Amino acid sequence: MKGWIYQLKSVRKDKFCIMSFFLPVLVAILLNFAGSIDLSSLGELQFVLTAGDLTSETTEWLARYGTVMICQTEEELISEINDPSTNLIGIEKDGKGIKTILSGDEWAILQQAAGTLPLLYEQRESSAQVGVQILSRPDILAGYQHIFAAMTLVVAMFMGCTFNAMNIISEKEEGVVFINEILPMSPKEYLIQKIGIGFVFGCLSALITAAICFRLPFARAAVMLALLVLSAFVSSLIGLFIGRFSNGLMIGVVYIKLVMIVFMAVPMISYLAGVENRILTFLSYLIPSSATLEGIMDLANGGTAMAGKDTVILAVHGIVWFLLYLLLAGRGKKQA
Amino acid sequence: MWNHNKGNRDPARTNHRLTGKSCKTRSIWKSLRSLLQKDFRMMRSGKFFAVALGSLLLYTLFIHFAYVRFMDMEIYQVYLYDPAGTQRNVSPLVHPVASLEEMDRILHKDANSVGIHVTDGKPEVSLYTASKKLDRHRSDYALSLLHPGGKYTPETVGGNNLEQKNRRDITCELLFIEIVAVGFLGIASVLFKEKQMGVMRVHAILPLPKSLFLFSKIFLFLATDLVFAILLVLCNVGLSGTGKILPGLLIQTTILSLVMALTVFGCAMILKDFRQFSLAYLVIALFVTAPVFLSANTSIKMTWIRFHPFYHIYMGLKHAFFGIPVANPLYYLCAAGAVVLLFGIVKTAFCREMEKEG
Repeated sequence: MKGWIYQLKSVRKDKFCIMSFFLPVLVAILLNFAGSIDLSSLGELQFVLTAGDLTSETTEWLARYGTVMICQTEEELISEINDPSTNLIGIEKDGKGIKTILSGDEWAILQQAAGTLPLLYEQRESSAQVGVQILSRPDILAGYQHIFAAMTLVVAMFMGCTFNAMNIISEKEEGVVFINEILPMSPKEYLIQKIGIGFVFGCLSALITAAICFRLPFARAAVMLALLVLSAFVSSLIGLFIGRFSNGLMIGVVYIKLVMIVFMAVPMISYLAGVENRILTFLSYLIPSSATLEGIMDLANGGTAMAGKDTVILAVHGIVWFLLYLLLAGRGKKQA
Repeated sequence: MWNHNKGNRDPARTNHRLTGKSCKTRSIWKSLRSLLQKDFRMMRSGKFFAVALGSLLLYTLFIHFAYVRFMDMEIYQVYLYDPAGTQRNVSPLVHPVASLEEMDRILHKDANSVGIHVTDGKPEVSLYTASKKLDRHRSDYALSLLHPGGKYTPETVGGNNLEQKNRRDITCELLFIEIVAVGFLGIASVLFKEKQMGVMRVHAILPLPKSLFLFSKIFLFLATDLVFAILLVLCNVGLSGTGKILPGLLIQTTILSLVMALTVFGCAMILKDFRQFSLAYLVIALFVTAPVFLSANTSIKMTWIRFHPFYHIYMGLKHAFFGIPVANPLYYLCAAGAVVLLFGIVKTAFCREMEKEG
């Protein structure tokens, strides 16, 4: 108990620690209240044309498919099409129809869209008469908006890892680690004290962030709680490993950076790319945050089945990493 | 009169003054060389170069084996259920299905795809919604494949193909990340190490101009970033492409590198230790990179982004990668002003730190 009080005292004095735990909460507030970013235009086509070249009817027809940008001169039009930060399809009058202009470095989807646009223009009257059945399903792009919130949660949980790693590295650099060795404290007690603060505050930070970002019914909120607690526990354990294997601050920072990149990139890529290969799916689960992100996204989209499976995966991660650390700590003591 | 007085100066005294001046210049150069050597050793022992080399290797592998291979997107797939076989001249891009159930299953699995169900010769389109405008295009595109017409190829006005664009895009993004996020952290670790070791305290008593200490560090960080940029571009854009874009690229990298090195220097002077800096770093990395990448690479609209200074630097860098020079002189004036201002702030903070150290 005394050890915990000392740890809490050190946290209370450390403004960096307190602020770092509240950073994801701040981002969640920004995401929720201030930064409502409009993602609806992400997949839409963008057209550019010269003023006065096309009739207002044609411009309105183009605006049905995407955003239309008007340039004053032909040179400006070409320069906009060639601008590397845009994906504009240039449109010019071609007799009674239209012709399309591309830079030539676009994705296949844009090249094919530009290649069929004059035909679509020719068939515009006949296609307007065809019935279209829009199937009701949550907006595809709305699902992606949850990713910001889910990634903020992953960062929140990672704060416990960063805190534990930096704490141990600082102790190593300041020589506190030698004092710890002669204190009447078992490796288990040391482990619990070291993991405790990062875990508790990582959990708190993640729970507040989740409460701001998501409104879930009780059953799904309970699964979310289990997911967050287990993820924070695994993150804290990984922080201990980083602290153990780092010999200096710079090496520690490099490890934290690498782990953070892997923690964020692997789940993001496997989620966005929708990996279906069993081996690749299994490999992605070796990174604990993959299960966390998948579970959060499942809960946010109204499911629970995947989240349940992910909770089990995280529990297995927690047990394996904990036992591995105890084994290493035991070996280290024997060697000493 | 004036000339006469000038001519009457004592030549021995003038010679002495000149010798004194050249001695002073020689001494400053000697000090600068020693400072550069010391800083180089500090950076080497802080594993600064090893991390930069590791990043270069990692980025090159990622570009060659992942990004360039997978960064493309095909247009929506179109599925046709026509039990009576009324549609005979459909495009080869249309995939026939055997039943409505099969079509439903495919549409559910690939929500971007479009299904056409033909009953009594009349087609009806089914699709999962994305956005109103996109839905309209998907539907009309799918219908156009039922009567494909002749092959049409759009006019091309650019000089790059998709692979060249992908390579330049990602190399630019990684160079920006390296300087803003990764290198930034490396510089900070070196500076905080010196601060902890008391190197700054030693500088307070050395008979050297304070700006020399700053200059030596900034010069080395800038040189490292420039070498990194050249190697990254050579490895990923190719030798033939590098020659054309290199001058513009080096100018933009210099601006970005100077701004970042001076910012991190300021942080190292103001903040107590590396842990405090880690938080500042997280905020800087998050708020600098995320909105800039979103605005510069996607169609997401953020009207306030034009007030974000790094957006303009990033766009300058991106345009340099595609051989488009930034023609607006205001940009260069602002960049030079920012560098001078930051240098002034850092020098003041550094002198205060020296006074504190006694």
